[in-house]
Amino acid sequence: PAAHFPFSCCCPEAVTYGFCPVPLPPTEAPHVQYERLGSDVTLPCGTANWDAAVTWRVNGTDLAPDLLNGSQLVLRGLELGHSGLYACFHRDSWHLRHQVLLHVGLPPREPVLSCRSNTYPKGFYCNWHLPTPTYIPNTFNVTVLHGSKIMVCEKDPALKNRCHIRYMHLFSTIKYKVSISVSNALGHNATAITFDEFTIVKPDPPENVVARPVPSNPRRLEVTWQTPSTWPDPESFPLKFFLRYRPLILDQWQHVELSDGTAHTITDAYAGKEYIIQVAAKDNEIGTWSDWSVAAHATPWTEEPRHLTTEAQAAETTTSTTGSLAPPPTTKICDPGELGSGGGPSAPFLVSVPVTLALAAAAATASNLLIW
Amino acid sequence: MDSWYPRMAKPWDSWGMLACLCTVLWHLPAVPALNRTGDLGPGPSIQKTYDLTRYLEHQLRSLAGTYLNYLGPPFNEPDFNPPRLGAETLPRATVDLEVWRSLNDKLRLTQNYEAYSHLLCYLRGLNRQAATAELRRSLAHFCTSLQGLLGSIAGVMAALGYPLPQPLPGTEPTWTPGPAHSDFLQKMDDFWLLKELQTWLWRSAKDFNRLKKKMQPPAAAVTLHLGAHGF
Repeated sequence: PAAHFPFSCCCPEAVTYGFCPVPLPPTEAPHVQYERLGSDVTLPCGTANWDAAVTWRVNGTDLAPDLLNGSQLVLRGLELGHSGLYACFHRDSWHLRHQVLLHVGLPPREPVLSCRSNTYPKGFYCNWHLPTPTYIPNTFNVTVLHGSKIMVCEKDPALKNRCHIRYMHLFSTIKYKVSISVSNALGHNATAITFDEFTIVKPDPPENVVARPVPSNPRRLEVTWQTPSTWPDPESFPLKFFLRYRPLILDQWQHVELSDGTAHTITDAYAGKEYIIQVAAKDNEIGTWSDWSVAAHATPWTEEPRHLTTEAQAAETTTSTTGSLAPPPTTKICDPGELGSGGGPSAPFLVSVPVTLALAAAAATASNLLIW
Repeated sequence: MDSWYPRMAKPWDSWGMLACLCTVLWHLPAVPALNRTGDLGPGPSIQKTYDLTRYLEHQLRSLAGTYLNYLGPPFNEPDFNPPRLGAETLPRATVDLEVWRSLNDKLRLTQNYEAYSHLLCYLRGLNRQAATAELRRSLAHFCTSLQGLLGSIAGVMAALGYPLPQPLPGTEPTWTPGPAHSDFLQKMDDFWLLKELQTWLWRSAKDFNRLKKKMQPPAAAVTLHLGAHGF
């Protein structure tokens, strides 16, 4: 066995190889090699004869001699863990003969390509990804054809698997064809999609959805929102909206389609129940509905709870309830006697507070707003 | 027009053969009877025209589906993406974005009116050649609706004081029986007719949306403001 110097020996290579090797001539850098997962590979020790006495190491660790075929290293059934820096040394002199930087990976499968216009009529963008990882670097090439005309797809500044196309003409009868090819050291694949200008239109969800209780109206909730900021021209290309709402305690949504405006008043809310509200948008005539917006939460206004300690106060309570109250729903009947025994302050109900909360944050306040 | 593809000789273009019927349309009464009572302005008739484009677009969807199935593959395949050859006289909806945005009302309406006049004429030709009774019935129904749209556009133009487009003397199309037209090329023409019709209906919805916005109260202030910016 060769004498090994301790790791603290005076050379940087000790970290990688575990000893101080005789350095390679300056011109020889590690040979980079890509091999397919599951395959077998034989690594020759550079130009060494087959019968040369060599030792192989990977990332500084000795490899067992039974992997050797003469001076060649044989790896069977490559796994991802086989990736690394392989080095072979002359057994006696520890002279570094050859290095291979091995990357184990896969050729690319057919990429998944999709295009969407959330900025109609300005343009559209295309996204792509590979259905399974290759574990090695891939390069993508996107081409866009409109009839016979080649269009430029500008790379997204932030996302590396997205590019943007600007519409030159509107109302075209000619389809767009977007093709993508992907290649890496082990293989190549491609796909393409064709579509009409109108079919890929899908706005972003409405923004800033806010739901507020309406003072003195225990069954109303006022909902407002804004057209998505990415939609460039709502005047010429108006959006219509779809609103859905339900009390947290029920699974069934109520739906309202609105052809105009960015506000709506819900008039059939169950008194005292917290609601979740979402809005979606669509171009009036073409394309598909956006995803649902971030949810807004709100509970309709309820009367400030009082402690019924005197009859006079009880009389006051009954006369202050307005005649517009519909009979409470049959699900949970709110016992007036329980008012005031619910946790938390009651004051918030009399103040118009915009309640746009992420669900996580809403959970914290839910216990304060819900009154059973 | 794509310049890559070899220019085909005109004689096989089937549109010329159907041209004679177009003359009928140009002689429609220029000003349909309008309800001049009340000061509603053109707003309601613009809305009506908009609604008609939506109705027609919906109707066309099922009609086109049926007709393309009748033509058979590849015309009824969703990915069918042929080059635009022939069908040169079809009115094209496609337009540069800025040009479309800056169209004045008169031009916008005129382009719509002229487009549908031609499209209706070609559709009637299609109807005559349709093989099945059911197809003929659907096409006839659609033609009637399209006629209604034309009348509606004419009404809006009249309300706004714009003259209806008339063909220039001497350019009125006349019957010219051409050579026999290949079956496949005929089908291609039919395909493009339906495609162009669908696209025009989408465009018209946007056109009338734009007109509607401009006519909305306070109409005077808004229109003047928009006018100043060359909208």
